Amino acid sequence: MTNPSPLIEMRRIIKVYPPNVVALDDVTVDFRRGEIHSIVGENGAGKSTLMKVLYGLTHANAGEIIYKGSAVHFREPGEAIAAGIGMVHQEIVLIPEYTVWENIVLGVEPVNWLGKIDRQRARRLVQQKIDEFQFNLDPDEKVENISVAARQKVEILTLLYRNVEVLILDEPTAVLTPQEIPQLFAELNRLRASGRTILFISHRLDEVLELSDRITVMRKGKKVDTVPASSTNRQELARMMVGRDVLFTTRRKPKPPGEAVLRVENLTVREDHGRVRLDNLNFEVRAGEIVGVAGVEGNGQFELVNTLMGIQKPTSGHIYIRDVDITHFDILQRRKFISFVPQDRGKMGASLSAPVWEDAIMTHHRLNPRLSGWKGLLLNTRYAQEFTRQLIDTFQVVLPSPRAPFRTLSGGNQQKVVVGRELLLQSDFVLLDQPTRGLDVGSMEYIHDQILRIRSEGRAVLMISADLEEIFLLSDRILVLYRGRLVGNLPVEQTNPQEVGSLMLEGQPQSA
Amino acid sequence: MRQKLLNALIGIVVALLLGAILLLLQGYDPLATYEALFRYSLFGYYPFATTLRNAVPLVLPGLSAAIAFASGVVNLGQPGQLVMGALFATVGGLYLNLPPALMIPALALLAMLGGVVWAGIAALLRRFFEMSEFIVTLMLNMIADFFTAWAITEPFKDPAAFSPMTPQISPNGWLPEWGEFNTMILFMFAAVVIAWFIFHRWKAGYEWRITGQNALFARLGGCEINRNFMAVMLLTGALAGLAGGLVVMGGPHRFIRGLGANYAWDGVMIAIVANNGLIATFLYGLFFSAIQTGALGMELITSVPNEISQVLQAVLVLVIVASREYLNTFVQQLAARRRAREVRT
Amino acid sequence: MKILIGLINGMIAGATPILLAALGGAYTYYAGVFNIAMEGMLLTGAFFAVLGSYYTGSWLVGVLLAVLGSLFLSLIFILFAVVLKTDEFVTGIALNLFAVGATTYLLRKIFSVKGVFSNPGIQPIPALRLPVVENIPVLGEILSGQNLMIWVAVLATILTHFLIFQTRFGLRLRAAGYNPARLDSSGVPSNRLRALSLLACGVLCGLGGAFLSLGYVNLFAENMSAGRGWISLAAIILVNGNPLGIALISLLFGFSDGLGLLLQGYRVPAQFTAMVPYLATLIALYFYAARTRRLKSA
Repeated sequence: MTNPSPLIEMRRIIKVYPPNVVALDDVTVDFRRGEIHSIVGENGAGKSTLMKVLYGLTHANAGEIIYKGSAVHFREPGEAIAAGIGMVHQEIVLIPEYTVWENIVLGVEPVNWLGKIDRQRARRLVQQKIDEFQFNLDPDEKVENISVAARQKVEILTLLYRNVEVLILDEPTAVLTPQEIPQLFAELNRLRASGRTILFISHRLDEVLELSDRITVMRKGKKVDTVPASSTNRQELARMMVGRDVLFTTRRKPKPPGEAVLRVENLTVREDHGRVRLDNLNFEVRAGEIVGVAGVEGNGQFELVNTLMGIQKPTSGHIYIRDVDITHFDILQRRKFISFVPQDRGKMGASLSAPVWEDAIMTHHRLNPRLSGWKGLLLNTRYAQEFTRQLIDTFQVVLPSPRAPFRTLSGGNQQKVVVGRELLLQSDFVLLDQPTRGLDVGSMEYIHDQILRIRSEGRAVLMISADLEEIFLLSDRILVLYRGRLVGNLPVEQTNPQEVGSLMLEGQPQSA
Repeated sequence: MRQKLLNALIGIVVALLLGAILLLLQGYDPLATYEALFRYSLFGYYPFATTLRNAVPLVLPGLSAAIAFASGVVNLGQPGQLVMGALFATVGGLYLNLPPALMIPALALLAMLGGVVWAGIAALLRRFFEMSEFIVTLMLNMIADFFTAWAITEPFKDPAAFSPMTPQISPNGWLPEWGEFNTMILFMFAAVVIAWFIFHRWKAGYEWRITGQNALFARLGGCEINRNFMAVMLLTGALAGLAGGLVVMGGPHRFIRGLGANYAWDGVMIAIVANNGLIATFLYGLFFSAIQTGALGMELITSVPNEISQVLQAVLVLVIVASREYLNTFVQQLAARRRAREVRT
Repeated sequence: MKILIGLINGMIAGATPILLAALGGAYTYYAGVFNIAMEGMLLTGAFFAVLGSYYTGSWLVGVLLAVLGSLFLSLIFILFAVVLKTDEFVTGIALNLFAVGATTYLLRKIFSVKGVFSNPGIQPIPALRLPVVENIPVLGEILSGQNLMIWVAVLATILTHFLIFQTRFGLRLRAAGYNPARLDSSGVPSNRLRALSLLACGVLCGLGGAFLSLGYVNLFAENMSAGRGWISLAAIILVNGNPLGIALISLLFGFSDGLGLLLQGYRVPAQFTAMVPYLATLIALYFYAARTRRLKSA
C-alpha cells in the first residue's frame, strides 16, 4: 500500500445549519478503495454531517468532492446510490409493515408490463443477495417482527442489492448488544474482502481500533487528524476527540444504601391475547442507591416506565413508594413522589415551542404553592420567572433568555433544564430513562455528576439505559430485563459487561 | 413580533396582488375595486361602525377555534354551536319577559348554553367513547343545521311569515344602538379580554397551551388532560354560541333562515391565519370583516359581485400561512449562508 | 318489493358520490397526506360539470370540465402543502372555503343567479341499460338503468384496490405514508407520490362532483356537496383506507340516504330524515372507536 490514489476526496467542506450552527468547518479528508475507515468524534462533532454531505442528503455551503477522479455533486441520495455510494443511518429507516424483500426492492422493483410487482423474481433476487453475503435473513418476514440487528442487515442488504461500492454506516453498533457486534464486524470484513469500501462512524474507541484500517478524528466540526489504526491507541484517540484527558473511571464512592424507597411487587403487564410484556417483576430501590436497568430495547423497559408513571395500568401487582401503595394513583398524585426524566425530551420531557420558563415550571405549577396566584386559579408568572432563573443558575444552563423557545437551546442545555426541573421536585424517588442519550461528553459528565449528587443526598434512583458503559459507571446494582422478566439483579461489584450482555441477549448467563 | 408583522404584511400584499390579477383577468379595475372596498369598510364613521359590528360573529368563533386548536382540541363545530346558540337565545327571547338589564344578560347566557350543549355532546362522546371530536363536531354541524331549520319551520315558526322564521323576540332583549355602534361589540371586546386572560394568566390556560403543544409531556407533568379537554370544549362552545345569540339580539331580532351564514367557518379561517393567537385573531377578524363589509359597497359602485370577498379571503389565508412558514426557513437559510462565508474567510 | 328496489336504488345513488370521493381520499390517506379537501373538490366538480354540460350540451364535456376544475384544487393543494410545506389541515380548510366562495361567485357571475341554477339545457349523464340483464326480475331492475357514473365508481374501486396493493405505484404510495424517509432514501422522492395521490384524488372527486350535479340531480346549488366530502373522510378513517371497505361503508351511508327518503313517506319531517346519513356516520364512528379501544387495550 504505497500511497494509493484515494477513491473519494472531500476537500475544504463547509456546512452551516440554519441559522448559524457551523457543523463542518473546512474539512478535508480522503478515503481509499477497499479500506474500513472510521470517523470518530463526540456527538455534534460533525461526523454524521460529513457523511450526509457525501451522500447528498444535505448540501455543503462550500468545498468539493472528488469521486473516482472526477468532481461529483449528489443532489439527493438517489444519485449517490446510482454512483455506488450508500448509507445506513443511525436510526434505522425501514417500513415495519412491509416484509424484508419489500423493503429491499422498494425503488427498484421488478414489475411486469402492467406495473404489477413480480413477487417471485423480487424474492429470488433478494434471496440471492442474502446467500451471497451469508446474512441469515428470511425475505418474507415482516420487518416489525425481526430484531434490531436483523433490521440493520436489511439496511445493508438494501444497499448491496443496489450494488454499492462504498458503504457508510452511522453508529451501527449503538443499537447492538455486545454479543451481536462481532457478527456485524465479521460481515463488514467480508464486505471489505469483496473489494468494498466501508466508512464507519462511531464514538466507541475499542470497536474502532479493532475494526478499522484508518481512523479520522473530528472535534467541533473540524478534522483533527487521520491516523492508521495500527499506530494509535485509545488514550490518544480520546484526547484528540475531546481535546483533553478523559477519565474512564467512576467517581462513585461506595456507601451502604438506606431503607427501601421504591418497592415493586409481582408487577405484571399482560396483553389481551396473552402476550406478557412484564412478567412478575419484584425489586426494590433503596435510598442512596442507583439501580441500573439493562436490556435490549423492547424487553419491557417501556412498560416498566409506563406503569411506574401511571400511563399504563398493570394487569396485576403493586408499586409502593415508602410503603404507600401508588398502584392506583393518577399521574399527578404520583408526581408528588416521583421525579422523572424521560428518554425523549421532545416527545415527553418538554414542549419544544414553549418558552423555556413554561417548560421549567411543569409539575411545579401544581405542587409549589408559590407558583399559584389568586385562589389557585392564577399562575404567578413573576415567581415563575424567578423560579426559572434559579433553575438556570443551579444547573448551569446556557441560554439567551428564559423567554427563548425551548427548541433554540442546544441538546445538552435542553437536557439540563429537564433534569434540573425534575431534581428540584425534591421527591425521594428519581426515575431516569436514558438520561444522557445523544449528549456531548461535557453535558453527559455534568448529568452523571448530578445523578451521583442526588445519590449522596440519599434519594433512590432507577436508571434505564441502553448504554452498558453508563450502567456500569453509575449503578450500585444492575437489573437485567429479558422478555419482560427480571433475569438478573446483580451488585455491580459482582458482575461484568460480558455477563450482563449474555443475560440481555439470552436471559441466562453464558452457557457452554 | 416584528417578524410576525412583516409576515402579515407580506402575506396581505401578495394576496391583494393575486386578487388584483384575478380582477384584471375579468376586466375589472383592481385599484378602483380596492378603493371602493376599503372606503365602504374603514374610512368613515358609518362604514367603520358597520365593520366593527360585522366583526362580532367572525371574532367570537375565531377565538373559539383559536383556543381549541392551541389547546390541541379539534373543535370544528363552531357552525353548529353558533346556530344552536342563536336558537337558544331566540327561544328565550320569545318566552322570557324581563327588564332589559336582566333580559340581555339572560339571553347571552342562554346563547352560550346553546353552544355549550352542542359542544358538550361532542365532548362527552369523546370522553366516554373516544370518538374523535374532529368528525363528530363536523357531523353535528350538519345536524344542527337541519335541527334549527326544523325548529323555525315547525314549533317556533312565525305564523304571519311566508318563509321559515321565528317571530321577533321581546324588544327587551334587543341590543341597544349607540349612534351607529351596536352594543354587541362590547360583548366582543369583553370576550377578547376575558379569553386572553384565561388563556395566558390562568393555570388552566397554561395547561391548555402546553397540552396543545405536547399532550404527552403535559400528561406526564401532571396536567389533568381529560378535565382540560372538557373545559376547552365547553368554553369554545360557549364562545361560538354567544356569537349566534348576539347575531339574533343585535340584528334581525329573530331566527331567520341562513342566519349562521358562513360566519363560523370564516372564524375558523381567521384563527388559522392568526396562528391561533388571540389578539391576532381579533385583528384579523376586523380585517376580514372590513373585506366583507366593503364588498357590499364595492358591488354597488364597481359591479364586481360581492362574493369575490370569499375568494379573496381564502387566497389571503393560503398566502399568509404559506408565507409565514416559508419566510421563516428562508430567513434562516440566508443567515446560514452568511455564516458559511464568514467561516471560509 | 317496489319499496325495497327503490331503497336499493336510492342507496346506490346516495353511495356513489361518497364512494368516488372516498376512493380519491384513499390515495392521499395511503400517501400520508392529511387531505380534507374532498368537500371542496366535490363542490367544484359539481359546478364545472354543470357549466360544461350547459354550454356545450354534452355531458361528457361536463364531466371532463368537472375533473379539470377539481384538479385545479389539487394543484393548489400540491403547491401549498407539498411544495411550500404549508400545514395540510390549513390548506384543506382554506381550499374548502375557497371552493364555496369561488362557486358562489362564479354562479353569480356566469349564470347571474343566487342559490340554485337549474335549466333544461343541462345534459345529465345517461343511464346505462343492460340489454339482456334488464329482463331478469328484481336484479335487472337494479342492475340495468343505473347511471353510467355508478359503473365508473365500481370500476374505480377495483382499479384503486389493484393499484394500491399490487403495483409498484402502490408499494411506493404506501411507503410514502408509512415512512417517507425510507422512500426518499431508496431514490424515489416521497413528494412526487404525495403529489400524484392528490391528483388521483382530484380526478375521482371531479367524477363524484359531476355525478352530484349531472346524475343525482340535474342542477347546481350553492354548497350542494352538503358534507359528503366530510362523510367520505369518515368512511376512509373507519376502514383505514381499504378501497373495498370504503365501497361497503359508502353503501351503508347510501342506505341511510335512501332510508331518509323512505321515512319522508311516513310523515317524518324532511329536516329529520335529512339528518340520517350524518347520524349514521356518528353511529359508525362509535363502533369504530369501540373497536380501536379494544385493540388498544389488547
